[in-house]
Amino acid sequence: MKSFNIKKFAVVAILLGMVGFAFAPAADRITVKGSDTLVILAQKWAEVYMKSNPNTAIQVTGGGSGTGISALINGATDVANASRKMKPSEREKLKARYNTLGVEVACAKDGITVYLHPSNKVTELSVKQLGEIYKGNIKNWKEVGGADADIRLYGRENSSGTYVFFQENVVKGDYAPNCQTLPGTAAVVNAVKKDVNGIGYGGAAYAEGIEICKVKKDDNSPAYVASAETIKNNQYPITRYLYMYLKNKPTGALKSYIDWILSPEGQKLVVEAGYFPIK
Amino acid sequence: MKRISLIALVFVSVLFFKANAQEPTTDEKLTEVNDKINGLTERLANDEADLFKLTKIKVSGYMQAQYQYFENPSVQPNNYFSLRRARVKFTYEMIDGVKFVLTPEFVPGNLSVKDAYVVLNDRWSKAFSIWAGKFNRPNYEVEYSSSSRELAERSTIIRTLYPGERAIGAKLEYNPLNVPFHFQLALLNGADGITINNASGTNLNTTENKDFDNYKDIMVRATYNLQLGNFGGLDFGAHGYFGSYKSNALKTLSSNYTTIEDVKFGDAVKRNWAGGEFQLFADILGGLSVKGEYIAGKNASIGYSPVAAVGTTAAIPGVANFQNKFAGYYLYFIKNLGKKNQFAFRYDYYDPNTDITGKDVTIAKYTSADATTLKSRVSGKSDLATSTFGLALHHYFDDNLRISLNYDIVQNEKVGSAGLLTEDYTKADGTKVIKGLDYSNVINQNLLTLRIQAKF
Repeated sequence: MKSFNIKKFAVVAILLGMVGFAFAPAADRITVKGSDTLVILAQKWAEVYMKSNPNTAIQVTGGGSGTGISALINGATDVANASRKMKPSEREKLKARYNTLGVEVACAKDGITVYLHPSNKVTELSVKQLGEIYKGNIKNWKEVGGADADIRLYGRENSSGTYVFFQENVVKGDYAPNCQTLPGTAAVVNAVKKDVNGIGYGGAAYAEGIEICKVKKDDNSPAYVASAETIKNNQYPITRYLYMYLKNKPTGALKSYIDWILSPEGQKLVVEAGYFPIK
Repeated sequence: MKRISLIALVFVSVLFFKANAQEPTTDEKLTEVNDKINGLTERLANDEADLFKLTKIKVSGYMQAQYQYFENPSVQPNNYFSLRRARVKFTYEMIDGVKFVLTPEFVPGNLSVKDAYVVLNDRWSKAFSIWAGKFNRPNYEVEYSSSSRELAERSTIIRTLYPGERAIGAKLEYNPLNVPFHFQLALLNGADGITINNASGTNLNTTENKDFDNYKDIMVRATYNLQLGNFGGLDFGAHGYFGSYKSNALKTLSSNYTTIEDVKFGDAVKRNWAGGEFQLFADILGGLSVKGEYIAGKNASIGYSPVAAVGTTAAIPGVANFQNKFAGYYLYFIKNLGKKNQFAFRYDYYDPNTDITGKDVTIAKYTSADATTLKSRVSGKSDLATSTFGLALHHYFDDNLRISLNYDIVQNEKVGSAGLLTEDYTKADGTKVIKGLDYSNVINQNLLTLRIQAKF
């Protein structure tokens, strides 16, 4: 094999590759994957949007924020829904694979709600008490003004953004080993519904058939329930943004869809789903 | 007839009562079901506990199989298939903040340990971590996994300064939360992967798990990630290496081939260098990046002192330690082509001796006044600079599978005139070509690599 043939081969192959793939047209097919907290809202967005834009097909699945971001990194989804910010390690992977830092779109606000059984005497807890409960340092309801009964903890799996957010902002340490991890916020709500001594946490949109615990920033602060007003006024202490992550700046059908989500029409659905608009 | 009827009545009654006696009540059934559920719940709890332990162990790895064609006529065989990597990485994180990592490599004919370290994260500020064991040296291209790297091999300067990439030692990392600043300070054995020959050509530095000398090397690296709004981001930083080898000779020669310094056995022969790096990521036409690094300083190789030849009183001349001023850099351009393809090119340059140019090579020399105690030292091939222009095209079948075509065009620095520096080589048919490689020209060292990578 002569050397110039190899050079020619390499250069031609590379040029063909560039020409062949650089201008691949984007189809009007959008895949969305990630946060279970966001999945109901994301499905609603997709459903309503597809009615008025029949040429765009949107497929929405859950799995957790970590799962969605992994799917974004490995090219399995166009949009990763996340109830937490992208971690630096995840951003590094995105840089390595796509040479971008990704695009973060805050699409809704959420107050992480603490669920209790309706028969529980406890009606309010401070962030510190919640942290101690989930670390396993407070084990009995009587230690926080409730009945003499063991506290049973319910939480999310570690692929969940809610799990990570609650750990970083409330627990501030390791979860107690006896905290039962459940696949999805709906499962947490169901578990607390059936357990008089249970406590759980999750998105505000799922809080049905259970008691919502008021939360106070510290012992001297008033306790609040997550509402549009308390979140807007920064009174409710456990609030977070919900995000959509993309690899690149959106174009075409994806851009139209994102723009619509951030429009008053899209944000109206945020409120209907039990979350709070970003503005 | 009456008797038969009576027997039939008794038989039916027995059957009826028997049937009634066997039928469990609803409460009994409920208790049975409850017991079963409780049993299953208990088993599930045990299984969950076991599963929880297993989730603390993460297994990842990758394999690279490749075909290479070497254009250099002195490389025989000039084309072959090989397994470049077959690594499995085990990460065990039993409790939050303590991580064990073990990466064995299973390349045919060689089982080796690539990574083996423990990481202790500070549980309070979550910003500090301490590493101990064998891990990557703190440098951008070293720490960038070859499963992600856009060119087939690391740049020449990085391969020269950090052979094998890993070193044994301890490292402190500082990664403050919410501030995109990263700092690494490592204390290393420093001689990992370096060949230090004695008078008979035997490598003295063969114990991989121990240091060659008592000197420890320090590496420091600091980087900052700057967000550039919708455009992308710029990461930039610097690293420094401050180390030394134990002298095994009584002289240290500088790379200008004129300055020679007296040293004692065991004295420190310094190796110090510093570098600056940047990585620019731009969200343009699907994503592109430009990355570069420049490193310059002084490296060293260790000589040996004169010894008596076996069976004679004549001395085998020694070789002086050698301290060379060097400089080099690399520059990448990487462009994504849709979701599945990527194009990259890199220019890298490494001059192992900045004290002399190619025209001085073989001219610059040190001649000992006492030829029996110190070999004369003539500049040569190892003083010539090398530049490599690499082109690569990758196709990602999915997250796990990547196929890459890589072509390296390698240029050497030329010596002053024909015949000054030549090498013999043997052709594939066994014919010896005398002075076939003449370094007054560019020696063809171009290399084509076709590689398939499976990652999990």
